[in-house]
Amino acid sequence: MRNLIAFFRRFRIFLYFALLQGIALSTYFTYLSFPRSQYLTTASAVSGQLLTYRNDVTKHFQLPYNNRKLQYENIQLRQRLSESFIKVQGALFKIDDTLQHQQYEYIPAVVINSTVNKRNNYFTLSSGKSSGIYRGMGVFSNKGIVGIIHNVSDHYAVVKSVLTEDINIDVMVEKNGIFGLLKWNGKNPKIGTISSISNDLTLKKWSKIVTRGGSGIFPRGLPVGKIKSLKTVEGKPLWDVEIYYSEDYRKIQNVYVIKNLMLKEQKELEKKIPSDEEIE
Amino acid sequence: MIEIGKHSIRFILFLLAQVYVFNHLELGLGIQFMIYPMFIFFLPNTLNIFLLMSISFVLGLSIDSLSNTYGLHASAAILIAYGRPYLMKLFEPRDGYPPTTDLSIYTMGYVWYATVFGIFLAAHNFWFFLIEQFKWSEFWFMILKIILSVPLSLGMSILIQLLFFKKPSTR
Repeated sequence: MRNLIAFFRRFRIFLYFALLQGIALSTYFTYLSFPRSQYLTTASAVSGQLLTYRNDVTKHFQLPYNNRKLQYENIQLRQRLSESFIKVQGALFKIDDTLQHQQYEYIPAVVINSTVNKRNNYFTLSSGKSSGIYRGMGVFSNKGIVGIIHNVSDHYAVVKSVLTEDINIDVMVEKNGIFGLLKWNGKNPKIGTISSISNDLTLKKWSKIVTRGGSGIFPRGLPVGKIKSLKTVEGKPLWDVEIYYSEDYRKIQNVYVIKNLMLKEQKELEKKIPSDEEIE
Repeated sequence: MIEIGKHSIRFILFLLAQVYVFNHLELGLGIQFMIYPMFIFFLPNTLNIFLLMSISFVLGLSIDSLSNTYGLHASAAILIAYGRPYLMKLFEPRDGYPPTTDLSIYTMGYVWYATVFGIFLAAHNFWFFLIEQFKWSEFWFMILKIILSVPLSLGMSILIQLLFFKKPSTR
């Protein structure tokens, strides 16, 4: 017993250090994969408020760029308004559409905090549960995809952006449907990579990359970027594809959160796929 | 008492400077400015090591909660707080440290400051980037980040002292 006390006395500084280090590292690694609460993240009320103050100042720096972007999007939408079309059929024309149902709804949000120089970058949005945002929803802007909601509180949300290592969004080449997983190598916020494309498939430089819409988080066909370069991975029959992102994540402000109304249906159906053991 | 007040105000200023300004300076190549190690470096030399580590832990966690790093800054901050007494002993001048003043470029000289704070910062950045990457395949990229980040942060810390720290009149 005396030895034990002596041991604690002797190494008390190191033990205290190890204790604090243990707390810090265990929070880091648990929050990285699954955040249990919103404390210690920018989704918490105090941090969110502090970042809102900062954003109130810095949002003006990128205003012309963002206004241009929104104006461009407005033009596109305006072209689809009924005022922009000529009526060809006169009075006989049906509005209630039974062939097409709404699948995706969009919730507008503002990015109040973002970084691009870390290994894993998270963005903070100024809307949360009260606007209907939940973990796992997709986020995009009109120029490209942004990420997936990682953590929400009542009025704020944290997005795991495409500038994280294992974002793993399924994307495809727009023309021929060749698909792979989107990743980021941590070096340049303009350039992403796509893994797991077999190198017997032919890809063309500058071909457009869009989302595939497989997991129900993103609709099919949202822009992601353009192929920048192709290399073969050493020792594996795979392409190492680098792409230029179509969105500039250093300037991003206005985004949309995607609510998939049929996600539950898709998940329930996919649950019924038998796993390998059950077949045997 | 004045000392406690001075360091509390510094705590808030360094915290806000780190999360509001320096986290958003983007030079590419993963370079990050680390300014808050300066606060830990400037805490009084006579401070109890437990208190030193606790203050660093709280500072680190505050920065984490404002920059979505979930404990990464806290971990690196505790590491340097733990190592600080050893480092100070190693580089102690012959006549000992001046009792209550900061160990700034004015009191200790540029060479001493650059050496000791450089080592301090290198240890911090090494630990920070190591845990952040957590992959040996990106080891050389991590070394590049450290080699680029440490001198820039060091230069920035000297600049901050030249701009905001008072020159002691007795020297």
